[in-house]
Amino acid sequence: MKHLPKHLRPRWRYLAVELEAWPDADVSQGDFQRSVWFAAQNLYGDAGSADADLRVLQFSFADGSGEALVRVRHGEVERGRAALACVDAVRGDPVRVAVRGVSGTIRAAEEKYLGRPGEPAAEASVAFADDSCRAVRRGDLVDVDGENGFVGATDLDC
Amino acid sequence: MYEAVHAHPDGDSTVARFAATAASAGYDGVVVRSRSDARPDVDRDAVADEYGVDVVDGVELDAADVPQASGAIAGLRSEATMLVVRGGTPELNRFVAESPRADVLAGPMRGSGDVNHVVVKAAKRNAVHVEFDFSRVLRASGGERVQALRGLRKLRELVDHYDAPFVVSADPDSHLELRAPRELLAVGEEIGFDRDRVRAGLEAWGELAERNRHRTSEEFITTGVERGRYEEDS
Repeated sequence: MKHLPKHLRPRWRYLAVELEAWPDADVSQGDFQRSVWFAAQNLYGDAGSADADLRVLQFSFADGSGEALVRVRHGEVERGRAALACVDAVRGDPVRVAVRGVSGTIRAAEEKYLGRPGEPAAEASVAFADDSCRAVRRGDLVDVDGENGFVGATDLDC
Repeated sequence: MYEAVHAHPDGDSTVARFAATAASAGYDGVVVRSRSDARPDVDRDAVADEYGVDVVDGVELDAADVPQASGAIAGLRSEATMLVVRGGTPELNRFVAESPRADVLAGPMRGSGDVNHVVVKAAKRNAVHVEFDFSRVLRASGGERVQALRGLRKLRELVDHYDAPFVVSADPDSHLELRAPRELLAVGEEIGFDRDRVRAGLEAWGELAERNRHRTSEEFITTGVERGRYEEDS
């Protein structure tokens, strides 16, 4: 189909999103997109979520940390932000979703907010709560593999 | 703006991890509200220096009934800067609202909890801040979330009408459940709150901490007796 003339094309805003999860989480772009749609639909219904038209355009995730670019209709940025805040888990893996910034073009969002080289994750053995535990370290953030699942800690605790 | 968090061993993340995440999310500080039987033992000043956010020493009392709460409030008041008492039944809500020693009435609409004008007026009279608990708005779905939203709306109407003090929190158990202030404002707006009210609720944690720190500072000789400006007499 022939594309729309420029003045009739929808205008978009692009949300640069930071993702964080436990190191064993496995989050794919498709799963994240589903979670975002569900969150939007549950928060403001079919009509509202169609208006906001949230779509995940770019996605990268590895070892419990990642980033994504989410498109939202111009004028619906705050609703998009609210829906993203309600994404608490992707396929059962708890995730933290935080909006780093909003841009009017994909390129500006990439340049300003995305593509920061994250700290590489490495397995380590740490002393936590008078005990030696296996852990995954990213920069000064440490996810300790405890008896009842992971515990989020930092270098100050170990 | 502050967030009140359940730190390890009560929650799944340590005070330091919460502070690091809160700093990146744009908070000015965190209030540690771990339950009274699982309080973390950390050097709060070291954490505050490392991550550049204020760390407030608090405790949450999760009592089963009124007699238990009554004894524990007296015991815990002097142990922490911030005393958060969890409601959850109509009797407990009323008792907490009528306790001037409590700072915050947490989760008043949880479980079988309910509030009425008597509770909210008592909370205002005793400066007990009523908590708007966003946890189930952010992390529940279906009927449970509908109930939470209904409870928040009722509470909001009462608190607005009587102009009672309040706080807002996402009640996170781990750093993954922490949400940035701007996100909470957006969610609040979506569920019927005024943006400024949510912001005021997040700021109220910090104001409470400052008030309590002032009260326990050396300026106070004893309860209610403050060292004035005109002490040096000629």
